[in-house]
Amino acid sequence: MAEQAIEVTNLTFEYPDTEEPVLKDISFSIDYGEILGIIGPTGAGKSTLAMCVNGLVPQVINGEMEGDIKVKGMNVHESNVAAMSEHVGFVFQEPENQLSQMTIEEEIAFGMGNLGVPREEMLGRIKDALSQVSLEGFEERSPLALSGGQQQRLAIAAVLAMRPTIMIMDEPTSMLDPKGKNEVYDVLKNLKAYGMTGIIIDHEVERIAAYCDKVLVLDGGEVQMFGTTEEVFTKIDRLHELTLHAPQVTEFLSQYNQQFDGKLDLATTVKKAVEVYESANK
Amino acid sequence: MNSLYMPKDSLIHSLDPRTKMIFVAFVVASSFIMNDPALQLLLLVALFPLVVIAKLVKPYLISIQFLLLFAVLIMTVHGIYNPIGVTPVFEIFGGLTFKYESMVYASVMSFRILVIGTGAVLFVMTTHPSDMASALVKWKVPHSFAFILLSTFQIIPIIAREAKIVMEAQQARCLDVKGNIIQRVKNLVPMFAPLFIITFMKVHQLSYVLECRAFSRKGNKTSLRETNIGSLDYSFLLGMLAVLVFEIYLKLFMMGSLQLTTDALLTYSLIGTWVVCGFMLIKFLFKRVQGKVGGVN
Ligand SMILES: Nc1ncnc2c1ncn2[C@@H]1O[C@H](COP(=O)(O)OP(=O)(O)OP(=O)(O)O)[C@@H](O)[C@H]1O
Ligand SMILES: [Mg+2]
Repeated sequence: MAEQAIEVTNLTFEYPDTEEPVLKDISFSIDYGEILGIIGPTGAGKSTLAMCVNGLVPQVINGEMEGDIKVKGMNVHESNVAAMSEHVGFVFQEPENQLSQMTIEEEIAFGMGNLGVPREEMLGRIKDALSQVSLEGFEERSPLALSGGQQQRLAIAAVLAMRPTIMIMDEPTSMLDPKGKNEVYDVLKNLKAYGMTGIIIDHEVERIAAYCDKVLVLDGGEVQMFGTTEEVFTKIDRLHELTLHAPQVTEFLSQYNQQFDGKLDLATTVKKAVEVYESANK
Repeated sequence: MNSLYMPKDSLIHSLDPRTKMIFVAFVVASSFIMNDPALQLLLLVALFPLVVIAKLVKPYLISIQFLLLFAVLIMTVHGIYNPIGVTPVFEIFGGLTFKYESMVYASVMSFRILVIGTGAVLFVMTTHPSDMASALVKWKVPHSFAFILLSTFQIIPIIAREAKIVMEAQQARCLDVKGNIIQRVKNLVPMFAPLFIITFMKVHQLSYVLECRAFSRKGNKTSLRETNIGSLDYSFLLGMLAVLVFEIYLKLFMMGSLQLTTDALLTYSLIGTWVVCGFMLIKFLFKRVQGKVGGVN
């Protein structure tokens, strides 16, 4: 198998103060340019898994870890979080806890400065990053004087400016209103256009279905399902067993099949569902 | 507003932070070299033009008010009670006498506070915190220390905002935050305990974020803000050196023949601070009363 962007094999992890492992024997891999959505009930271990990928767990947040994680062919154990940050960007859940500088421009420059990016290049990259998240013209403002959605986009811009190949976002939109969510997901779509690899954790299956190539379902620290978005979201019964649900349109088509003995294919996006429905009624 | 920094377009603002840090050191040194009330008063007056050049007269006066309160307290209490005093200067009601030696002592101390305060205000209000941090890094101060200094500025507004949230939350649980003084002091505990925990958690989370932004990465770091020492800085530094030499000369050779500190000067400066403080008090009371009256309407 060719080198994958992220390759996790037999990962098991246990926090010092938990009785049983939070992550149990997890294996999956994603290729360059793919976007992976991780879903699962709260406490499933999604954040822990995401933090394993960039080494935050167990290097900064302690615990016992077994198994292998390779990012771009490099072993995460043998590196450290700061060095990994050149390759893996991480966006956290709370927007304002991620901001530490006096102005937006410096916020974005902070990570680059730590990487030793020369000043002339910084200015260009700041511009790029701000336009990617459509925050142009805010350079001199204080990060605290932004709305939650804008702050989260700023946090994303600060990570983007470091030019990682992989971007991990842990529930980046859970603190935001629908408009803020759209703003963040639009950025995610842009990432795809830039050919970046991404991992996103979210509870909104509709958005995951619309934006991700692959989906991983985590429950009780175990991988319950892993596959392409279609594969995962069309196994509705399995999802229901895990107290999760498929996107509304998929649920609709499935219900329709059940009640009216239909033979519709299950689609995961509105657009596809319309096509399916349309062709079946001809 | 994030910090005490006041962005203005002035000569002082455009000085390199390092020059200004040296300036603060210079002011502190001067205030100790010239340990004579008259000379310190002179120093204070001499610093004022710099405040004017920095276009900070109003914010300066507002912040110096608080130091003035200290000055009044020190001058009054020490002037009367400090045991080093022997020569009476003047008496106020009830047999309380101000004595010459203790007044000199008190004046030196309180003027020193004012002088150093002025220097510090000049520095803090004209220096962008990030510039200060990057200047420190140029002085080979460890990056993490500079960052601690910088984030202290940043964490203040965050704490302030959290404090408001905690206060509102506790109010919603029927905590009386607007009661009398004793009640309010008692209520500081249910305010500060959660505030402390929240701040601690925030800082903890921030440390993960910093790690993800390569903060502890080895190797050289770069900064967006550039600070350069230019000709203006050199002339400023030279000026300070000249003044310093003059001060030392004055101190070593002139002190015997020069006697600027007189009873009158001491008395007037004491009364002067009283008057200013009294004025502040009246203003404060006036505002209070006005607020009350306005509240009734
Ligand atoms: N620092 C820690 N120390 C000990 N246990 C932890 C720590 N962080 C998380 N846990 C535990 O590990 C389990 C998984 O947590 P994790 O945060 O990975 O879940 P999650 O899937 O991200 O949940 P959510 O959707 O609520 O964010 C939980 O049972 C949690 O209590
Ligand atoms: Mg989580």
